[in-house]
Amino acid sequence: MRYNALTLRYFETAPGAGALDGPDIWRGAAGSRAQGTWVQFDLQVSCGHIQVARFLAFACPHTIAVAAWIAEQAVGRDVVAVLPETVEQLSARFAVPIEKRGRLLIIEDAWAAAAGQHR
Amino acid sequence: MNNGAVRSRTVYLDHAATTPVDPRVAAAMARCLTAAGDFGNSGSTSHDYGDAAATLVENARAQVARCVGAQTDEVVWTSGATEANNLAIFGAAEQYRESGRHIVTSRTEHKAVLDPCRELQRRGWRVTYLEPDNGGLIDPAQVAAALQPDTVLVSIMHVNNEIGVIQDIAAIAAICERHGGAWLHVDAAQSAGKCAVDFAGCGIDLMSLSAHKVYGPKGVGALLVSRREPGRARIHLQALQFGGGQERGLRAGTVPTHQVVGMGLAFEVAETERKPEAARLGPLRERLWQGLELLGGTFRNGAAAHSVPQLLNVSFEGVEGESLLAAVRGRLAVSTGSACTSALQEPSYVLRALGRSEALSESSLRFGLGRPTSGQDIDTALAVVNEAVSRLRRIGGT
Repeated sequence: MRYNALTLRYFETAPGAGALDGPDIWRGAAGSRAQGTWVQFDLQVSCGHIQVARFLAFACPHTIAVAAWIAEQAVGRDVVAVLPETVEQLSARFAVPIEKRGRLLIIEDAWAAAAGQHR
Repeated sequence: MNNGAVRSRTVYLDHAATTPVDPRVAAAMARCLTAAGDFGNSGSTSHDYGDAAATLVENARAQVARCVGAQTDEVVWTSGATEANNLAIFGAAEQYRESGRHIVTSRTEHKAVLDPCRELQRRGWRVTYLEPDNGGLIDPAQVAAALQPDTVLVSIMHVNNEIGVIQDIAAIAAICERHGGAWLHVDAAQSAGKCAVDFAGCGIDLMSLSAHKVYGPKGVGALLVSRREPGRARIHLQALQFGGGQERGLRAGTVPTHQVVGMGLAFEVAETERKPEAARLGPLRERLWQGLELLGGTFRNGAAAHSVPQLLNVSFEGVEGESLLAAVRGRLAVSTGSACTSALQEPSYVLRALGRSEALSESSLRFGLGRPTSGQDIDTALAVVNEAVSRLRRIGGT
């Protein structure tokens, strides 16, 4: 399997990997480890803005890289249940093979669950 | 694409996939290529060029035969073990199609055996796939139980390419002998140089060999076809390709002198160095396993007591397989247990047959130790894998 430079960078550095704890954390997860892909986002939100974003991912390098990028992009933005880019745009940016696009939908579900649900 | 500098920093532990050609082998091969050497066609015996090549080809045949306990005239050159497996399975099936259309093999065979068997099923043959125990071993009694009156072929590998376990071929051969009608084919592509091989002593009818697993060149292998002693039944095969009658009519085509010379010398060297290499690599493999075991959530695949010292297969709990391979890439060259034939990896069918879960079958690494492997390489591999597994478990929240 070959990966583009952006995927490798975000997979290898995984900025934002981890979890947050506390009463004001919004958490959402999707997928299943048993089925090979699981993603979780934790968001610290203040006045409708994302202050801190963290992610966990049991997943392939493409999925880890996209989740890390999304967590990084999220900081300072309004909390909205949609990703900053569409699955198609993310696929192009990270050169995700068409067979793996379903995994980006898991990221989308995890994000929507986090952004739309206060723990 | 990796360049040479990057590769030089990568520890190569994928010797079960292929090995570098031994410099002595490469030199011997080079002497067969140019006008200054023995470049003749071994089939052209009307002049000295051909005679010289034929002498080299027959010498190589004798070298291979000596290493595996066979007679020289039992060695049939092929392009590799895959072709040898195809010639054995299709050649025997077609030859004995009037005697029976049942074949016995195991779930953990190489694809070069499983795919021909599946093709024969498509053509109307019946195939019984034996299930190994959780160590990867086939009980010879399973073979006995699977044999039917119309069984014409049993195909069981000697050393498994993923987990390194050694099957009890002598016992299986004795069972086939008692059955009377079932010929035994053994895929021994991973055996030479790793463990003792005794083709005639075990009573095997067909055996596939490969050169590039033992520091020989890619593109050459052999099928051993038993001639047996007088008074005992001798197997016959139907040829799969025609056009020159080489190799007793079983494998038409000009014999590539340089390739078979390389294979012959590679086998000779491998057999000479087999025991000292096993004594050196066995402790290195155990050192690797003991280091990996400290990580926790690690599972050794295959019966360690019945495996060659060159192979170690380990599953890592809490780690996704593709990410694990990507995380070590550039620092460590190993194989995953997954069949990475597309963008989506599939769990190893060998590990699944051992009863491993889908997740553990997908998150495994195969470490193939070889002649260049040093203690420093093992320490580097341990550090790389430990770092990768720990990091991925953190990212995965496990």
